[in-house]
Amino acid sequence: MGNDDSGANHSETPQTGFLSRYVFSTNHKAIGLNYLWLALFSVFLGMAMSLLMRLHLVWPGMHLPFLSSLGNSPDRYAALTTLHGSLMVFLVLTAAPQAGFGNYFLPLQIGAREMAFPALNLLAFWATVASFVGMTCAFLISPHSGITLWIVSVAIFCAASLLNALNFSVTTIDLRAQGMTLPRLPLTVWAWFINAILGMLIFSILLAACVCLLSDRLLSTHFFPPSYLLASQPGAVVTSAVSILWQRLFWFFAQAEVYIAMLPCFGLVTHLISTFSRKPVWKERLVVLALCGVGVFGFCVWGQHMFSSGMNPFSPLVFSLLASSLGLPATILLVSWLGTLWNARIQLNTAMLFALGFISLFLSGGLSGIFLARQDLAAAAVSDDFVTGHFHLVMGVAATFAILGALFFWFPKLFGRRLNEPLGKLHFWITFAGVYCVFMPMHWLGLIAHSNVSPGRPLASFAAAGSSIRTFITVAILLTVFAQGLFLINFLWSLFRGEKARESNPWRATTLEWSVPSPPPADDFGLSNPVVYRGAYEFTDGAEDFLPQYFAPEQSAKARESGE
Amino acid sequence: MPGTTAFPDIELVVEDIGGGGGGPTPPAGGGGDGDDGKKRRRPGGPPSPNRYYTGIALGIVSILMFFMALASAFLVRRGTSGDWIPVHLPTVLWLNTLALIASSFTLERARRLLSRLNLSGFRKLWTVTTGLGALFLIGQLVAWRQLVAQGVFMASNPASSFFYIFTAAHGLHLLGGVGALLYVLVRKFENTRMALPTAAEIASYYWHFMDGLWVFLLALLYLGK
Repeated sequence: MGNDDSGANHSETPQTGFLSRYVFSTNHKAIGLNYLWLALFSVFLGMAMSLLMRLHLVWPGMHLPFLSSLGNSPDRYAALTTLHGSLMVFLVLTAAPQAGFGNYFLPLQIGAREMAFPALNLLAFWATVASFVGMTCAFLISPHSGITLWIVSVAIFCAASLLNALNFSVTTIDLRAQGMTLPRLPLTVWAWFINAILGMLIFSILLAACVCLLSDRLLSTHFFPPSYLLASQPGAVVTSAVSILWQRLFWFFAQAEVYIAMLPCFGLVTHLISTFSRKPVWKERLVVLALCGVGVFGFCVWGQHMFSSGMNPFSPLVFSLLASSLGLPATILLVSWLGTLWNARIQLNTAMLFALGFISLFLSGGLSGIFLARQDLAAAAVSDDFVTGHFHLVMGVAATFAILGALFFWFPKLFGRRLNEPLGKLHFWITFAGVYCVFMPMHWLGLIAHSNVSPGRPLASFAAAGSSIRTFITVAILLTVFAQGLFLINFLWSLFRGEKARESNPWRATTLEWSVPSPPPADDFGLSNPVVYRGAYEFTDGAEDFLPQYFAPEQSAKARESGE
Repeated sequence: MPGTTAFPDIELVVEDIGGGGGGPTPPAGGGGDGDDGKKRRRPGGPPSPNRYYTGIALGIVSILMFFMALASAFLVRRGTSGDWIPVHLPTVLWLNTLALIASSFTLERARRLLSRLNLSGFRKLWTVTTGLGALFLIGQLVAWRQLVAQGVFMASNPASSFFYIFTAAHGLHLLGGVGALLYVLVRKFENTRMALPTAAEIASYYWHFMDGLWVFLLALLYLGK
């Protein structure tokens, strides 16, 4: 309620100065970009950590800059894993596709000039930054206060996500342009919207859990009986309780994020596939239903678990049920993607390649998920290689591919320049091969471990084995991470020197954001309010093979005549 | 909910105040678009207040989820261990509850006066509502002190932990509500995006929700002993 005048006249008075234009701007585009920069920074930090971990696993005695100076203990290793996971899951996979692209493009795609509550939006961004700083610092201080700081950071992140979710859903419900009915919403918007609704429910529960956890740690209450910790973890006797605690807490929060991170990616990929297949989304309504299904099933399974366990972070995790609850909606999405691709004139540019890569990863990750849905296998410790491989393929890497695809797609709109295509394709193929070389052997490792030793042996003690598979994985990871250097070069070079996107709609896409200049002006749509005349995926045959949502009927008839 | 009959009046006032500037948007040129008759944005004029209604509705759902999660934790925890010693609820809680319920009624009366454009009467009753809210918060602090005097602390046992966390979380949310009431009272709604009746209505929804939530929590604490 406190945002009465803050966003009221930002369109009329062009703001000057770095602080007011970028740092404290309430403009949705500035905030969206800030989220993307934060995600970009976090992803490279997180990748550096995964590199450290792999090096430590293969050569445990090696002196690593970060790890050895802080004591080479299992605690440290677990903390490193948690930090890698938190940065990736919270600040990259959750923040980039939803808060980053969503803040920038949701208002543009529905024809709104702003988010519903600009001041809350700014507050949410800076709370996210605070949680980023907190999570990173948690790793640097002593384990006990580190865990507390980490939980505080997660609580702040939950609060920020709640504000975000509120903003997204209200914007979608109330600020759509004239003619933008619900069936005409692009699927990206649907995904952001459903995700926001889901987020409002999930993050409230997580926030409550954070409050109880914090009170247990700081005020020595007993909301969660600590005996659970030892009972559910057979390996707890071997390693210290702290490293187990890091793991449990991380997975407790991360299992809710599976849906929050994947939903917007489904929307992005569907959008890309339709645009670059030059075909309408096959069974669009069914896709919307499937997206809702992901949200509803996911929340019911997860929520039921949370309520019945009293939000206890030490009760057994529900990966198996979560994995199987995704089955039906995921199949519908997959069939729709393939149906859209069928007989299409596919334009294989980098954005499309990443979308196709997403499908491939999602499919292979989903297949291994079937194994996980078996209770006895999934009951094994979550640090198991098989689970790590599955989780990374389906959630981590697949979602990253969707984010990269969206970045290649929207880069011209964001910066008015295009990313270099040949370099992008090279980056794609190396990364694509790289992630399969990394995570497929990891599945195998997990299966070997299951057949030989008792399940649940913690990761750190595996390090001694140092088998050839592990070395192979590490080499593959090194290559994949360095391939990301290609992306960074491409990104930075294109940002300043890239080919200019002369037209406002270089991909010949149909949605509203392509009707404005690139990059969009501060008030998005200029003087006249946008009006929407049709659905979001009107692709036809012929030279002018697309009908944008913003073309008035007489305009589109003229365009068709000139095209034929 | 009390006073539901006042809503149409309020809506009328909102239209009068909010619809001042700018012409209507040009009609859509295409045929078959009749399903979207609503004009959502008026260029130049203040934006439609719909977003505040949607916002408060969704916000309430989200806060409700937060308390439901705590309530489920309460019920589950009660059944899992033997260290549960029920909290004897201080009597002052019942007085607090009365004050809070009374505040809901004064709030509705205030809004009815506002819809009849009786501004001074509205301010008076609105101040009374805010005062009752503050009284409730002070009463909650008194209840805490009484419990502390009895030797029941936050960390004494799970039941007391839950008592303190419920009252603290609800108190913080209600403090926000008192802030919102004060905001409506102090703010001059001249150049703002939100008109006074809208702000009062939004604040009232939140206030009634906090009221109902407290009754629910009290019942939970009382029956769940």
